[in-house]
Amino acid sequence: MSVDLYIPIWQYSHMEIDRAEPLNLLFGALADPTRRAILARLALGDADVSELMKPFNLTQPTISKHLTVLERAGLVTRGRDAQRRPRNLVAAALKDAADWIEPFRRQWESRFDNLDSHLSSMKKKEK
Amino acid sequence: MPPRSHTPANTEVIVDRTNNTIILTREFSASRELVFGAWTQPEHVACWWDSSGIRLNKCEIDLRPGGAFRFVHQGRPEIPHFAGIYRKIAPPGELVFEAMGAIGKVILEDLDGTTLMTVSIACASAAHLDQFLQMGVDAGTSQTLDNLVAYIGGLKR
Repeated sequence: MSVDLYIPIWQYSHMEIDRAEPLNLLFGALADPTRRAILARLALGDADVSELMKPFNLTQPTISKHLTVLERAGLVTRGRDAQRRPRNLVAAALKDAADWIEPFRRQWESRFDNLDSHLSSMKKKEK
Repeated sequence: MPPRSHTPANTEVIVDRTNNTIILTREFSASRELVFGAWTQPEHVACWWDSSGIRLNKCEIDLRPGGAFRFVHQGRPEIPHFAGIYRKIAPPGELVFEAMGAIGKVILEDLDGTTLMTVSIACASAAHLDQFLQMGVDAGTSQTLDNLVAYIGGLKR
């Protein structure tokens, strides 16, 4: 019980409050595999809704819904071409998210690096 | 779908905010059996768990549902040990445990000889999740999970 009561207090004193909301939007947007795939597609170049529908086999409303979430998170913007309304990837926003979890990722990376080399030594012993 | 960018010697981290879960994936060129053994046999866990590479001082594993485990780091008494309870043991594909107020799940999939490992950490709340991630940031340059363990260890009910 004390965990849930305690953490919010810790959070208020340590977290940068104004950063919390954009980060929630950002990570919320990145949590969905389809949206990550859309971002991966946009990383190759801008695309409009119909161009995004094809590879993902999704309906226009579904794609639009995902794009709205991505736009709100600041990950995607609309291009100037009024006819086509292509979407562009905002690389800086994606980098923000990556930077934020990078130290955490590196901690686990070293641990799994250890595991990787330990597995090699286990394999040698098996032989 | 475009191919997922994936380097074999790399750990991918995904933060799933809807489920308050952190998901880590990594591929190993070893069988699932071997990876499962590395996670569940104390003589093996002791060799890799400490991210700085130092062998664990103590590694106790009672491998059965409800059984306890305890990993004690070497030479750093200020760091509480990593301890918890096993919830599910299904070799060679799945291991579930509870520790630091979170549920840890290790899923091992066979990819034609290599193993895709997915480790998910399901936190109790959004704040709990932030705390997990924030710890790494506060540590500045990474080396270990020690700060995280030390902090959350102090919170245990």
